[in-house]
Amino acid sequence: MKIRNAAVLSLVLFLSLLIASPAAFSAEKEIKIGVLYPLSGALATIGRDLQRAAELTADIINDKAPGVDIPMAQWGGIPSLGGAKIKLIFKDHRGEPDRGADLAKSLILDDKVVGLMGAYNSAVTKTVSAVAERYGIPMINDSSTSPDLTERGFKWFWRTTPHDNYFNRDLFELLKGLTEGKVKGVKAVPKKDLQNLAYACENTEWGSSVAKSIEGYAKEYGFTITKGLLYNANAPDLTSEAKALVAAKPAAMLFAAYLSDSLLMIRTLKGMKAQTKFFWGQDAGFEMADFAKTLGADINGVLTRTVFIDKITRVKKVAGQVNALYKKKYGDDLTGATARSVVGVQAWAYVLNKAASTDPKAIQKACNEINIPANDLVMPWAGVKFDAKGQNVLGRGLIGQYQKTADGKVSLEIVYPFDLATANFIYPFPGWK
Amino acid sequence: MEKLKDALDFSDFSKAERIGLVIFSVFLFAFPWIGAGSFTTTVMIQFLLFSLFGMGWNTIGGYGGQVELGKAQYVGIGSYTVALMMVWWKVPFWVSMPIGILIAVGYSFIIGYPLFRLKGHYFAIATICTSLVLKDIFDNWNLVGAAKGIELPIHDHPDFLYMQFKSDTYYYYFIMALFYIALFYMNWFRKSKLGYQLRMIKDDEDAAESLGIDIRWCKIKAYSIASAFVAVGGGFMAVYNLYIDPASTMELSLSIKIALMAMLGGAASLWGPIIGAAFLVPLDRFLGSWLGGQKGLTGIDFMIYAALIMIVSAYQPRGIWGIIEQFRKRGH
Repeated sequence: MKIRNAAVLSLVLFLSLLIASPAAFSAEKEIKIGVLYPLSGALATIGRDLQRAAELTADIINDKAPGVDIPMAQWGGIPSLGGAKIKLIFKDHRGEPDRGADLAKSLILDDKVVGLMGAYNSAVTKTVSAVAERYGIPMINDSSTSPDLTERGFKWFWRTTPHDNYFNRDLFELLKGLTEGKVKGVKAVPKKDLQNLAYACENTEWGSSVAKSIEGYAKEYGFTITKGLLYNANAPDLTSEAKALVAAKPAAMLFAAYLSDSLLMIRTLKGMKAQTKFFWGQDAGFEMADFAKTLGADINGVLTRTVFIDKITRVKKVAGQVNALYKKKYGDDLTGATARSVVGVQAWAYVLNKAASTDPKAIQKACNEINIPANDLVMPWAGVKFDAKGQNVLGRGLIGQYQKTADGKVSLEIVYPFDLATANFIYPFPGWK
Repeated sequence: MEKLKDALDFSDFSKAERIGLVIFSVFLFAFPWIGAGSFTTTVMIQFLLFSLFGMGWNTIGGYGGQVELGKAQYVGIGSYTVALMMVWWKVPFWVSMPIGILIAVGYSFIIGYPLFRLKGHYFAIATICTSLVLKDIFDNWNLVGAAKGIELPIHDHPDFLYMQFKSDTYYYYFIMALFYIALFYMNWFRKSKLGYQLRMIKDDEDAAESLGIDIRWCKIKAYSIASAFVAVGGGFMAVYNLYIDPASTMELSLSIKIALMAMLGGAASLWGPIIGAAFLVPLDRFLGSWLGGQKGLTGIDFMIYAALIMIVSAYQPRGIWGIIEQFRKRGH
C-alpha cells in the first residue's frame, strides 16, 4: 500500500513538473541571459565555481560595487537600457552535448533569453552554439578553448577567452625564451639541452587537439618530439604511460590532463623518480586548487598554463578588487577558469550597453564592434575585441610555476609573459629525490 | 499482406490496453499543438528516441533473454554513417540512413557470429567489450574526427533532403513516424516464427535445440534486427544534434541506459520499453533541469533518479509493466 502511495505521489510530482515547465515570467526591466555550465556530474566542482563567479559579476553590475574601479561597477544595471538588470538563468548540461542543445532551445524558446553564455566543455559548446546559430541568438563563450569553435564561420558566436593554440604558442615562446636568456633568474640554456620533448595528453576532444597543436608548434620552433601518447583520463593506472615517458628521456614533459589523471600521473612519475628539466601542464587539472592541495611540495617547479593567477592582483588593481569581493563571499581566490566567467558576463554587459537594445541584430552589431579596454578587465589582456571569426584577438595566456614557499606550502608564481614575471624561474625542474 | 495484417492487429491485447494505445496515440499526434513549451518537446523527442532504442533491444534482450550491454556501438555506426556521408560527399539523409542500417546489420553479423558462442554473463561482458573497443578506435581515428567528433553543416531553410529544420516540431513528427514503424514491426515480430523461437530459447535452450531450432542463428538474427533499430535512432541523433562524438554516441552509459529503460519498463513485453522510456526520460530531464541548477542540492536529481529505479526493481523485477499487471490481476 505504501508503495502504491509513493507511486501516486511520484506521478503527481511529474504532472506538476510538466505543468510548471519554464513559465516565462516577464518582470519589467530585466535582461535574461541563459548560462549553461556543468553543474553536476564529473565537472560539478568547476561548474559551481563558474556559476559563482558569473553571479558575482552580475551583482557587481546590477547593485553597484563602490570599491571596484571598473565603470560597470557604478552602473547599477545597463545604462543605455534604462538601468535594466541582468538576470542570469543557469542550466546544468552535465557535460552532455545533446542535453546542452535541448537546454539551449528551452532557454531561447521558453525563457526567451536575449543571449547565451557557456558552456565550458568544448563539445557542449559546439551543440549549444549550433542551436544559437539556428535561432539567430547571440552566444558569448567565456571558457571553451578548442580552436575549432571559432573556425566554423558562425555569425552568432563570439569567444572572449584565448584558445589552446594561443596557450601552446606561449609554451614554445617560454621554451624559446629559456634558450635566449629572457626568463627571469635563468641564464640562457643551450638549445640542445631542451631539444627533445615528450607529451602525454588525455584522449578526448580537448587533449587530442592539444597534442596535435604541440606537434605543429614543435616543428615551427625547431624542437623534436621524441614521444607522444594519448591516454584515457579515467584509467585506474598510468604506469605504462609513465614508463614510456621516462624511457624517452625527454628534456621536457608536457601534459594535457584533468584532475584525477594529473594526480595519478605525477605520483606514478614520482615513484619512478623520473627526471626531466621542464615539466608543463596545459591548464585543467594542473590549475585546480585541489591539485596543489593534494600534491603539496611534490609539485615544486611544475608549470601550468592559465589565464589568471591571483598574483596578478599585485600588478593589476581591478583584479585585486574583484578578487577581494569573490574571496569575501566564497572564501577562494579567483582562478583562470572563474576569472573567465567574470569577463564573460562583463562582455555581455558592455555589449548590451553598446547595443542599447535587446534586438538580436543590434547585439550582433555591438559584438562585432565592441572594444573593452584593458583597464576594465580582471585579466592581464590587452582588451576584448573580436575578429571576423568571433575570436577575441586581444587575449593572452599566462604560464605559472608552482614554487615552494618558506612555510612548506606551494604558491603559483607568474613566469610568462616575461614582463609580468613575479618570481625567478626554477630551472631545471628539481624532480623528486 | 499477412504480415502487415499481423503488424496492425492488436486484438490479442485486453480492451484496457487497446484503449490505452488509442489515447496515447491521440496524445502523441496532438502534442505539438497543446503548447507545452520547447523543453517539453525536446523531452518528448528523447522519449520517442529511447522507446525506439528500447524496442530494438527488446528483440534480443527481452524476447531472446540475452543480456546485451553493447547497443551504443550501433548508435555510433548509425550516426557516424549519416554524419560522415553528409560531410564528405553531401549525401542526403534518406540515402545515408539506409546505408547506416546496412553497415550496422553487417557489422552485427560479424560481431554476433563469434559472440553467440558465449552465454549468460560472458555474453554480456563480451558485448560491453566490443562496444568499448569500437569507441576507442573512433576516439583515435583521425579520419573520422577522432575524439573531436563531427559537426554537420547547418542548412539555412527547412531541408527535407538533409533533415534539417529550425523547429523541433518537424523532428518530433519524424521520430514519431519511426516510433510507429517500430511499434508495428514489434507487434508483428512477437507473433512471428522468430519471436516464438526466441521465447523458447529464453525458457530452455536445450529443449529448443532438441526441437530443431538453430539457436545461434536465431540469436544472430534477433541481434541484427536490434542493431538495425538502434542504427536508425543513431542516424536521427546526428541530424537532430548536428554534432556527434564517440563520447556521446558510443559510451557504455548509453548502452546501459538503453537496456535499463527496456528492463525497467518490462522486458519481453510490447509496452515495456515504451513505459520504461516514458518513466525514465522525463524523470532524468525534468529533474535535471529543475534541480540541476539549484544551489546546495548538487546531485539530488541523481539520487532521486537512482532511488526510484531501485524501488521499482526491488518491488517488481519484471518492471513497471509487471507492477501494472499485478494490480490488474488483483482487481479481477
